[in-house]
Amino acid sequence: MNEDRPGTVLIVDDERMVVRSLQSFLGLETPYDVLPFVSPREALETLETRPVHVVLADFMMPEMDGITFLKKARELQPEATRILLTGYADKENAIRAINEVGLYYYLEKPWDNDHLKLVIRNGVERSSLFNELSSRVEALEKVNEELRGFRERLVKAFL
Amino acid sequence: MSAVLAWTLAAAAALALGAVAWAVRFGLRQRRELGKARAQLRATSDELERSRAASAEAYASLQRTQAELVSSARLASLGDLIRGVAHEINTPLGALSSNYDVTRRALERLQIILEDEVVDEDELVEVRKIVAAVDGVQETNAMAVERMVKLVQSLRTFGRPDRSEIDHIDLREALESTLRLLSHETSERIRVVRELGDLPRVECYGDQVNQVFMNLLVNAVQAIRDEGTITIRTRQDADRAVIEIADTGIGIREENLDRVFEPGFTTKGKRVGMGLGLLISRQVVERHGGSLSVRSTLGSGTTFIVALPFRLPREAGTSGETVRAGSTAE
Repeated sequence: MNEDRPGTVLIVDDERMVVRSLQSFLGLETPYDVLPFVSPREALETLETRPVHVVLADFMMPEMDGITFLKKARELQPEATRILLTGYADKENAIRAINEVGLYYYLEKPWDNDHLKLVIRNGVERSSLFNELSSRVEALEKVNEELRGFRERLVKAFL
Repeated sequence: MSAVLAWTLAAAAALALGAVAWAVRFGLRQRRELGKARAQLRATSDELERSRAASAEAYASLQRTQAELVSSARLASLGDLIRGVAHEINTPLGALSSNYDVTRRALERLQIILEDEVVDEDELVEVRKIVAAVDGVQETNAMAVERMVKLVQSLRTFGRPDRSEIDHIDLREALESTLRLLSHETSERIRVVRELGDLPRVECYGDQVNQVFMNLLVNAVQAIRDEGTITIRTRQDADRAVIEIADTGIGIREENLDRVFEPGFTTKGKRVGMGLGLLISRQVVERHGGSLSVRSTLGSGTTFIVALPFRLPREAGTSGETVRAGSTAE
């Protein structure tokens, strides 16, 4: 697939050092736009207006936990790929929550950059394909509608 | 006549013989019985000796068990501490390990660009990208290192529990250090309210007092099942510092309130601490010349109140042994 296809990745972690590290890495190694946030609420505000391909969220955040955040993100942009970044003590909760929010992947801290890149790239691709599929389906429905109109007119013309 | 005499004599002799024989038999029986009794006595005394030895052994073993219980209670709080540290270290570690990788990649890219000794326009764009990445790395490295330094400082206050030394601790610092180590437990579901007064430093065995704070705060965290608040207040009461740790947790039943300091009392099941945490905490505080008390309302929360004199009582100050938390077992 085309790696240069633009993509947008939203990152939220209450630890600025984590957000900055991820941003540095993705900035260097991927062509994607990175939207960094330390506040889940602010991240949700952005998600209301700006379409993204991947949402990467930390699990333990004081303002709102990662699962709640991803649930809200799904309501706003169901086609975006959701990834959870979990710390040491919260693995069980994270696994339990995978089904709750339709999680695409969960990564553990400390993460491996190559793995992270792969997961994010697949996530962007998945979301792009999903978008493409949606727009194709939409186009097909439109054409189908037109055809139905033609048919009706044809039928009328012959009767 | 003589026949009568002879018969009488014979009868008397027989009687006498019978009496002697009886007396001898009686004496023999008595001696036998005495011997038996003596043997019995000896056996009893042996038995007594044995059971005394057994009691001594049992007592020693009880003492050992108590010592083990005390140290396992300490180990449990050590476990809390270690879990906290592991979690706290994970964030800066994650950043540093990623940064190390980013630096390596950045360097590789730079080397490729510099291979032909010429930097063209496209490469200049690439170099700018690399600089931006390294800039981010630098910034997060600084944050990660600072976080780890703070963590180590927090740990130092728990340093060497067995070779405790007299410190003059700042309660605010001590409580903040403990809270930092527990932040993985509190950050998300528990709000921590600090009402910390400006108090003089407290002369005490810092490690032990910090363990008391750790213990009380862990209890507070565990008492809050879902979401809640822990309020920490410090104030001065004459020559004492008073530290209150209040939670909005499940509370303690009134009939159990007196029992929380008893050895073995726990409502946490067999899981942690074996119900000695509060006992040890109270002993530590009392050996500092202070007091540890509790008040609670079932369903709305518990408050532990530690009162510590600003200066150690002289007898406690003379030897570390006197205040050692585990010395109850000796």
